[in-house]
Amino acid sequence: MLGIEDCVTEAMAIPGALDALLIDQTSGMAVAVGGGRDEDVDESAAALSETLRAAMDGLALNSPGGTIRINDMIVTADNGHHLLRPMETAFDGPLVIYVRLDPERSNLALARHRLRSISGRLVTT
Amino acid sequence: MESVLSDLAEDRVTGALRLDEAGTVYLTDGRVTYAESPAVPRLEDLLTADDRIPAQAVRQARQAATEDRPGGERLVGQGVLTRGELEFCVLSAVLDAAYFLSGSAAHHRGFRPGDRHWLGPQWYFDVAGLSRECERRRAQLDRAWPSGELDTLPVVPLARIPAQRVVLTSLQWEVLVAADSTATPAELAHRLGRPAYSVLLAVRRLAAAGLLRVPEAGGRPGAAPAGTGTPAPAPQTPPAPQTSQTSQTPSAPPALPRRPKTTGEPRAGGEPREGAAGSAASARWLPAATGDPADVNLLIRLRNALEALT
Repeated sequence: MLGIEDCVTEAMAIPGALDALLIDQTSGMAVAVGGGRDEDVDESAAALSETLRAAMDGLALNSPGGTIRINDMIVTADNGHHLLRPMETAFDGPLVIYVRLDPERSNLALARHRLRSISGRLVTT
Repeated sequence: MESVLSDLAEDRVTGALRLDEAGTVYLTDGRVTYAESPAVPRLEDLLTADDRIPAQAVRQARQAATEDRPGGERLVGQGVLTRGELEFCVLSAVLDAAYFLSGSAAHHRGFRPGDRHWLGPQWYFDVAGLSRECERRRAQLDRAWPSGELDTLPVVPLARIPAQRVVLTSLQWEVLVAADSTATPAELAHRLGRPAYSVLLAVRRLAAAGLLRVPEAGGRPGAAPAGTGTPAPAPQTPPAPQTSQTSQTPSAPPALPRRPKTTGEPRAGGEPREGAAGSAASARWLPAATGDPADVNLLIRLRNALEALT
């Protein structure tokens, strides 16, 4: 069972992790930050919320029935692998855990597995 | 409010700052650990909204809470929810209340030193960070839809929307399902057990998507005559068949069923007469009833028949 800060600490312990953020998707707020970065955290959190929202909207339109439930989202880019995992909570949210990985030093499958384990211990749904 | 809080924070006090009618802010060692306001749902309501967490457990934790073992520890200890969930719930509730407290012109009604919230400190906010987040939220609302007029009005979804397809978030869905054309965003938040800010943001985004009735600045006086005008033809229709059918050609009956249909629709739809998408909507109802050549012919025949009677 994890607290919010533990969750970011564990995400930073994933091999190759460069940044980690915990984001409240509804308000686009950075709830917790890992990786020692302080600047532009709010902007990153808002931008990542929008990224996830755009993916949800687009995929919902592309799905039979028009609904979507994303388990995790992986974007590989020049500056690293971006992993996003929305977690349903009982009250508000979703709460999104984000981690950026060094492509040279990381293993995507392992990182995805670890994120799933973290989210399973943070929320009980 | 912020200056009072900053002073208290500097003195590293523990206690509760009461604000008239608006709510209470709890501090622990100069940092904000809890805030509540009647404008937003209580934390208890957020926790128990979806039935996963039994209201009974929350009530018991509240009653059994002591200074050494606050209610939050008890809830986590019992496995009712995880530490992360409790922290996140407190975070949501405090920021929600802070947003509405910072917007209100409340005067503080004294500070009670040593007063603690039953949950105990779960998350620490510094006063500057709190007001920064409130500012950010205000800006975000304005980006979604730059007008506060919908914030306090009942949420009225349009009966028909000017689009073929819509994508909604789950919260927007909840808002639309619960909207009964009388509840304001704040009332919906209480009903749904969702943070009031989240509901406000959902409502503004729904408005921006053109799915809600929006009051027009000058639209009301213009829309009112249209509204009172449309029901008027309806009572006139029943006598019409009697006079015309007896004396006139079979072309009259097919024209007649159309009228109840066009006049009936605005009433079935509920609100559009008060001027939804405004003049466009009301204009669609009006000429449909009067511009039809069959209607005009019928009226002329009716007039002729009445003149023949006298």
